[in-house]
Amino acid sequence: MSVIEIRDLVKIYDGSAVEVTAIDNVNLNIDAGEFTAIVGPSGSGKTTLLNMIGGLDSPTSGSIIIDSVDITRLKSKQLIDFRLNNIGFVFQSYNLIPVLTAAENTSFVMELQKREKSLINERTKSILTDVGLSAKMNSRPNQMSGGEQQRVAVARAMASGPKFIIADEPTANLDTKNTEKLLDMMEEMNEKRGITFIFSTHDQRVISKAHRIIVLEDGRIIKDEKKQ
Amino acid sequence: MDRILSVSWKNVWRNKKRSLIVITAVMLGTAAGVFTSGLMNGWVDQRIRSVINIEQSHIKLYNPDFLKNEELTNYIKGVAPLEKYLKVNNKIKGFSKRIKIMAMAATSRGNTGLMLLGVNPDEEMVVSELYKDIVPDGGQYLDNNKPGGIFISDKTAETLHTKNKETGKYKLRSKIVFTFTGKEGEMISQSYRVCGIFKTSNTAFDQMCAFVLDKDLRSAIPLNENEIHEIAVILNDNSDLSSVKDDINKRFPNISALDWKELAPDAGMMSEYMYIYYMIIMGFILFALAFGIINTMLMAILERGKEIGMLMAIGMNRSKVFKMIMLETVFLTMVGAMVGMAVGWLLITITGKTGIDFSSVEEGFEAIGWSSVVYPNIPAGFFFGVTLMVVLTGIAASLLPARKALKMNPVEALRTDN
Repeated sequence: MSVIEIRDLVKIYDGSAVEVTAIDNVNLNIDAGEFTAIVGPSGSGKTTLLNMIGGLDSPTSGSIIIDSVDITRLKSKQLIDFRLNNIGFVFQSYNLIPVLTAAENTSFVMELQKREKSLINERTKSILTDVGLSAKMNSRPNQMSGGEQQRVAVARAMASGPKFIIADEPTANLDTKNTEKLLDMMEEMNEKRGITFIFSTHDQRVISKAHRIIVLEDGRIIKDEKKQ
Repeated sequence: MDRILSVSWKNVWRNKKRSLIVITAVMLGTAAGVFTSGLMNGWVDQRIRSVINIEQSHIKLYNPDFLKNEELTNYIKGVAPLEKYLKVNNKIKGFSKRIKIMAMAATSRGNTGLMLLGVNPDEEMVVSELYKDIVPDGGQYLDNNKPGGIFISDKTAETLHTKNKETGKYKLRSKIVFTFTGKEGEMISQSYRVCGIFKTSNTAFDQMCAFVLDKDLRSAIPLNENEIHEIAVILNDNSDLSSVKDDINKRFPNISALDWKELAPDAGMMSEYMYIYYMIIMGFILFALAFGIINTMLMAILERGKEIGMLMAIGMNRSKVFKMIMLETVFLTMVGAMVGMAVGWLLITITGKTGIDFSSVEEGFEAIGWSSVVYPNIPAGFFFGVTLMVVLTGIAASLLPARKALKMNPVEALRTDN
């Protein structure tokens, strides 16, 4: 069953001098539980596509239907609430709140969702244990390595119970060892918890782990391959 | 604790150096404002105390005609029932009946015009603390057992040369001759011997008034027991001022009761409006400080563009982003203001006990009725007012930075280096 349905998606950046078509008539379905990599060279439209799927950017035309809701039709406030309850984000440079501990960063989204305190505490512990950071719960970002910070970012993305997690170049700032650890952890979460991951990358190590690879070039899908 | 609240508090301390600079500026500004207000309030309080306890009392009662024309024969009518009322009213601490005439005072070396007040010391000492203001080596207050004495000010002593200019010593028991108009317009001369010298913080009062025993003045004119011009009333509590005054005016239509605010409008106005004045001082200080706070918060927002973009991306709505920035600004302002208020309060407490001596400019102060030694003080309610103003300043100062943050596009903010 498709969790994301993208129909005739177009994104044109209307600059002062030149018009740039970043996404050119993309049609795509992503099913629940997929572990999908969107790959392509720089400027191919990977981040633009992910931003639109995540409701951070609006398309010029076309629709993005997530769980029967066309998010291109939602108003700004509705879109913020939709993101809070349905989409998890992992960014290239971790983007944790530096004044909060790993546990506080993880529970932050659930607090925004106004969940019960006991549930928040329980879920925070469980997720941080799953990502291998039970010993670092009370550490602040500056007391953790890049790999650990990115695992907290994944934990935060998972905490809200999203329909899928978008990860934009999640391993770009990590060394080989930490990249391996992060990918193994994400794959485990995908298998164990059935979480749908969509990540953009041009890192071969990530591409090799993906179950489905979508290749973008000049804003168009030129290849969509599912591994057996 | 609310997470937004705790994040805002922690954000204040992210750049300790920058925050401490703003906090120090707010602290110094607030401390200066609080202390200045305390100093002003000390003066005003002393002025009001002087007006009530020395110059005017709480309420004065007159024959309405006497207020228009201070004729000797414009006595208070119906003294007996009025006196009975004043004695039984438990809001009234005491009262003093006075004879009041304009007279020319003369010695062999000088003369001056004076308001001569005939008083009974036993009554007078209940309504006026003037007997406490006797200068060193300045004799003593009026005594019913020592007729013929006069209680004059240091200024009058200088004018009438009953004070040795070189040694500063007073010529006690020296004679002053008074000339004034009698009931029928005849000129009356009467001499008194200086029994005591007083000095208040109000030069104008000192230059104007001299006190003698009422019975001495009564026999000179002559007047009977019920022929008086003024009754000075002192209350147990200043808050009963209006009710007592209104009650007297209602019960005794032939009497004009005036309270100290009407008798000394300058002090009355100060008591009514000084609180607003202090708040205006604090308002100006906080207004100036707000620009520094805005600048600091704008820098903080620009530095945290990526983080704010992330917060918006993960689902933090606009009102929560606004709340976070507003709380951060209020905390930044409040920390400085709280320390500033504590420092201001400490300065007021210390100087309130030791006093601040402005003797070098004594004459200037006393010419307008203000004491040259001031004891700063401030009511507790003032701090509530300042706290409210600080919170409002924090909220107002957060508007521009918050607007800047809310205008951020998450996608663009996430692309920035900060």
